[in-house]
Amino acid sequence: MADDAPEINPAVGAMLQSARDWLLHEHSLFKTLNLKPLLIGRNKATFSVFLPDDFCDASGKVHGALLTLIMDSIFGLAAFTALDELKPVATINLRTDYLSEVGPGGRVVCAAECNALRGDIAYVSGQLTDEAANRLVATGSGAFIIGARGPGRESRL
Amino acid sequence: MTELNLIEQYAAAAPIAKWLGFSAEPDGDDIVFTLTFDERHIGNKLIGALHGGAIAAFLEFSAQAALSARLGGGQPVATVNCDVDYLRSAKAQDMKARVRFTRIGRRLAFVEALGWQKDEASPVAAARFRFRLGETEK
Repeated sequence: MADDAPEINPAVGAMLQSARDWLLHEHSLFKTLNLKPLLIGRNKATFSVFLPDDFCDASGKVHGALLTLIMDSIFGLAAFTALDELKPVATINLRTDYLSEVGPGGRVVCAAECNALRGDIAYVSGQLTDEAANRLVATGSGAFIIGARGPGRESRL
Repeated sequence: MTELNLIEQYAAAAPIAKWLGFSAEPDGDDIVFTLTFDERHIGNKLIGALHGGAIAAFLEFSAQAALSARLGGGQPVATVNCDVDYLRSAKAQDMKARVRFTRIGRRLAFVEALGWQKDEASPVAAARFRFRLGETEK
């Protein structure tokens, strides 16, 4: 779905723009992570993410759970770029492989791609790379449901 | 030192436990873990749901802390990989978790964690973790 994919739907694009502004300036978690968008296109989202001390384990390294948190966020965004109309996106499941350790204070690049949209299910995979060392830190894959409803309306951006 | 003491010690040394608002308390012979809700755990402020990543982080830290304590503390416990299933929406409120050890071997441990909010019978997330025990290549 990558190279010959159509442009982002304008309504989805406008939503992404406002979501980006909100992520960067309003949201306490994402402000801490100092998200910098490197690429947002149809089926694709790549962000540079800061790794703060707050998410370290006892050894002083970044806890893997932060890497899962980053992937859940950016993968959901990649699923969102594949849509033709505005609908909530919620994670069904996420699998993460931790390939190497990374310390706090630096940045990782999270590159996510929506590989397929089958009915109301989006399949996303991607990876995290240590920006300075250009070393693979984690890989992941997940499924997302489009148009999720429920008491909490569990859309995640 | 009891497993609960070891878990508290493990959490006290890890900044991420503070971010999670992590705590543990006895529940009969078992231990129940808590994520104390804070605004920083919200994924989308308009919707007010817990961030999926915060849920995953809480379950992983619970599993890791419980495993470390079961092993007597002090032994490195590195996550190899994890799978998280999001079973239903998680509201902007505290979350609980319980951990089960599927197998603890010499080099590997397989651990499951189940998370809920109001009712343990209606879990919001389930996760499986594989841990490498002992010193590993960095």
